[in-house]
Amino acid sequence: MSGQGYDWVGQDVERVDAVDKVTGAARYTADLKFPRLLHAAVVRSSLPHARLLHVDLGPALSVPGVKAAVCGRDVPFHVGIYLKDQTVFACDRVRYVGDPVAAVAAESPEAAAEAASRIAIDYEPLEPVFDVERGLEPDAPRVHPELGRYECVPWITPEPGTNVCNHLKVRKGDFDAALKRCAHVIENRFAVPQVQHVPLEPHVSVARVDLAGRVEIHTSAQSPFTVRHLLCACFGFKHADVRVIVPHVGGGFGGKAGINLEPIATALALRCDGRPVRVAVDRSEEFYAVVVRQGLQASLTSGVDENGRVIAQKMRYVWDCGAYGGYGVNVVRAAGYTCGGAYAFDHVQGDSIGVYTNRPIGSAYRGFGMQEIHWALESQMDAVAREIGMDPVEFRLRNCLGPGKATVTGQVLDESAGDVATCIRKVACGIGLDVDRTDPSGGGPIRRGRGMACAVKAPAMPNDAASSVILKFCEDATLELSLSGVDIGQGLRTVAAQYAAQALKLPIESVRVHNLPDTHLSPYDWQTVASRQTWATGNAVLRAAEDCKRQLLETAASALGRPADALELDAGCVRDPDSGRSVPLDRLVMGYLFEDGHAVGGPVAACAHFVPEGLLFLDPETSQSKKPVAKWTFGAQGVEISVDTRTGEIRVDRVVACYDVGKVVHPSLIRGQTFGGIVQGLGTGLMEELVLDRTSGRIANATLADYKIPSSLDAPRMEAGFLETPQADGPLGARGVGEHTMIPTPAAIANALVDACGVRVHSMPLTAEKVLAALDAREAGREGGHRGS
Amino acid sequence: MLTTCPERLAFSYLRPGSVDEALAMWAGQARPAFLAGGTDVLPRARREGGIGALIDLKRIPELDRIEQGGDGGLAIGAACTVHRVAVHPLVRERYPVLSACLSQLGSFPIRNRATLAGNICNASPCADGAPALLALEAVLELRAAGGAQRTLSIGDFFRGPGETALRPGELLCRILLPAGSAGARGSYQRLARRRAVDISSVAVLVARLAAGERRHRICLSSVAPTPLRAVEAERVLDAEEPDSVERAAELAMAACAPIDDLRGSAAYRRRMVGALLGRAVDELRSSRQTGVPV
Ligand SMILES: Cc1cc2nc3c(=O)[nH]c(=O)nc-3n(C[C@H](O)[C@H](O)[C@H](O)COP(=O)(O)OP(=O)(O)OC[C@H]3O[C@@H](n4cnc5c(N)ncnc54)[C@H](O)[C@@H]3O)c2cc1C
Repeated sequence: MSGQGYDWVGQDVERVDAVDKVTGAARYTADLKFPRLLHAAVVRSSLPHARLLHVDLGPALSVPGVKAAVCGRDVPFHVGIYLKDQTVFACDRVRYVGDPVAAVAAESPEAAAEAASRIAIDYEPLEPVFDVERGLEPDAPRVHPELGRYECVPWITPEPGTNVCNHLKVRKGDFDAALKRCAHVIENRFAVPQVQHVPLEPHVSVARVDLAGRVEIHTSAQSPFTVRHLLCACFGFKHADVRVIVPHVGGGFGGKAGINLEPIATALALRCDGRPVRVAVDRSEEFYAVVVRQGLQASLTSGVDENGRVIAQKMRYVWDCGAYGGYGVNVVRAAGYTCGGAYAFDHVQGDSIGVYTNRPIGSAYRGFGMQEIHWALESQMDAVAREIGMDPVEFRLRNCLGPGKATVTGQVLDESAGDVATCIRKVACGIGLDVDRTDPSGGGPIRRGRGMACAVKAPAMPNDAASSVILKFCEDATLELSLSGVDIGQGLRTVAAQYAAQALKLPIESVRVHNLPDTHLSPYDWQTVASRQTWATGNAVLRAAEDCKRQLLETAASALGRPADALELDAGCVRDPDSGRSVPLDRLVMGYLFEDGHAVGGPVAACAHFVPEGLLFLDPETSQSKKPVAKWTFGAQGVEISVDTRTGEIRVDRVVACYDVGKVVHPSLIRGQTFGGIVQGLGTGLMEELVLDRTSGRIANATLADYKIPSSLDAPRMEAGFLETPQADGPLGARGVGEHTMIPTPAAIANALVDACGVRVHSMPLTAEKVLAALDAREAGREGGHRGS
Repeated sequence: MLTTCPERLAFSYLRPGSVDEALAMWAGQARPAFLAGGTDVLPRARREGGIGALIDLKRIPELDRIEQGGDGGLAIGAACTVHRVAVHPLVRERYPVLSACLSQLGSFPIRNRATLAGNICNASPCADGAPALLALEAVLELRAAGGAQRTLSIGDFFRGPGETALRPGELLCRILLPAGSAGARGSYQRLARRRAVDISSVAVLVARLAAGERRHRICLSSVAPTPLRAVEAERVLDAEEPDSVERAAELAMAACAPIDDLRGSAAYRRRMVGALLGRAVDELRSSRQTGVPV
């Protein structure tokens, strides 16, 4: 009987914040009212690359209603998570259109805007670097001539004197020798443009520095503690004097990882005598001024033997990191140690190189580089299979990772790592790649095609990244759960409640997740990134629950006069199974009061943490490591598309996804994540691209009118299936999946396009115009008497 | 220099109760503009500023009607929303081409707000309301302060991007759909980057009148400074010869003058005029009624 009805993990419980979201009780940073609030205006560089000769704040300060104005020389401090290559405001050089140069705080937005417009800036324009090819040339202008002097974590390797902000090398086996033995050698190049996250809620931060010097920040961020830590490193505050509060967040997708507008707000607040200052960006600035996803240029060479085994694989991923690499350098690194994707290649030469350009700042974005490299790798795997005349599904199965096989870093996977081969089979079967098909379009203008792609990703984080939680019982035996992982829509609050309720055999309604993280009150969490929260916080919740349970049993042991280990937790009470006697929880959670008046025990509460174990750094020369990351999550997607060969339009009709998630914690949340990821993947695959105007260096489509993300009508029919190979260190076996859901979609579409009409497009997004150009090129090739390969 | 500033719009807002009052208000204001749904004028004000007073047309009863015209056609008041026009029983029954085009404009929220009159007065080259009105040979009823009144054929209305034949202070009061165009069927083919809430990159309407000699109408948008008709191509379709569609496509491609922009290159757009024309004729011939149901 015991435990029955309390198996919350795996059930579709109601989202614990559903009512807040639906009624509007949930408040976001911009909803908050602050007494005597000041409004900020940020002056941003209008040039992509220039020496900053002089900034004259004087005229701004004479505008009525202006409280403070600040620029680089006032706060010449570096900031950044891995590579501290950025200052709060540009100091002697601006590096992209949008680079913050100065800011003002004023009584009204109008006064702030007026004052900002009066700040005079002298620039000396410099030659800009707009693409990585140029950036790598020996005579290219240096975006960061001071690169050698920046502070940096030891596992990031910038190359001073160049534009390379990180370079990870993977060397496994002997690529050159192995390539000579190959029956087929196939080379291709692929490209991905910079794109934007487009969260519903743009970035906004409010800072206040009180008269005693304590700092309080309300901000739309994914990582309150990382904001605090980096802000302290930047300004020299004591951590305990800085309080970061994260209200509800309207979407992050990586764009709110690390630190963003908070230093600007703080620099102003330091000059505003205790008054709060709000810095917000509008939708247009959200597109170019904060952070975007890096661009990628990839070149791949595959050497394949007669049996369709890839034995030699060379991958060169060159990243457009934009103007600053503070966070993006770690995308470069993650792409390096994951360069082989879901495949077991024996001889590998991998290079992942981050290059500075005078474009918007490349940073974390759902997938952390994985969608980009999978675009290249999964297109390549498909192209190679077709070239050697093998079915792409069979080719993937012959080469994929699995228990006993080694990744590019030499990590041998064990049984608990997940089962990509089954994901491939299920997806192939679900989308109909396993059956012999004749084109149902019968030569008409609309062609149908099917394709698939795999996905893999590990959390990219410091080896000691921690999550912790606090559980506290209330007098009535309801449970309060506090954590600092941020629910950015993925459902973390609900999942945490499920674990707690299950472990303590409570009704789900008895758990309250107090989760508007506040660094003064809630326990430490590194960041809400890397698809790590369900896994890391889930583990911490189970450990804290275990501790609470021990306390309850100990108190009950005194009450019942029995040893604690003879007792068990049951629904709403602690029971002695031998005698059948029990004590209800509400008589234990604050300690037990005996009939004679004496008390034992005390309020039941616990704090616990989770830090992954056994991680090992990569070898600096070869990146070999037996355990470079905490876990891998594998999956695959298959798509079915229609192509109008008259216009080049692609319509995605159906997508089938399968991921090995270890444990399905909440079926509808995981479906929601999967469907959302597919649609986001479809957006980057078909329509999204930040377009640079090369004359001005500005982003030409920095509005929602010009930059399109999918609408609900663009969403295809979607099906999601999950495997449950338990993760050894996962809470009840679960591993992360939030980001993985958008990784394979674009490559699967590109592969379906080849299936539909025989043309491959090598650069994202697959716009109608590009598809038509590819169809033309094929026609031209045919008429010219030779076929392009 | 770029600055962050939560802009505010500073203009006065006026709400006349009659056309005469609206016209008089215009005369008394600095930098006035008429406001219908505001879905074009407000974003523009925010982008460019420059508006001193907005004169709201939505509460003028005489502009808020769809009624039989004198000649047996239909008269659509300038304050009628796109959605109301698109689903109006008489429009659906007699001018289904207009319903079909309008049901592809923007989204439900936009169509519930935007007006057909505002769509054409805004004179965007991509206006989705324009092709159907061109095909139906709509007539525009204009009024100005002091009782001046005139009518203008839609074909003479568009002058360039954002430019019309409206004189300063002149108000478009009603859009008249002639009886002779009733019963026309058509297919509106529209290319955009996504399937809703996106300005078209190319759009082609092929319509066929219920009767008469010159039955075909081919109207193009997003491929020239104004929406336009490809009259020579229409005559080729009228001839109904085996290669009519190909030749009409070529003539329509020659008639347009697209530009390169974020939504596509000029060359692609020109070619798409031909492709969409073919698609439209196919759909017309397959006798499927066009358009997404509203
Ligand atoms: C998100 C979004 C999506 C959109 N999608 C589309 C689309 O797919 N297709 C499309 O064609 N358009 C689209 N538009 C543009 C716009 O919605 C339409 O053009 C709409 O029909 C404009 O009508 P309105 O009533 O809002 O005009 P308003 O903005 O009120 O007015 C437009 C202009 O016409 C003038 N004006 C209005 N009425 C009169 C009158 N009676 N006499 C004289 N001058 C007048 C105004 O002064 C102004 O200059 C979109 C707009 C938005 C914001």
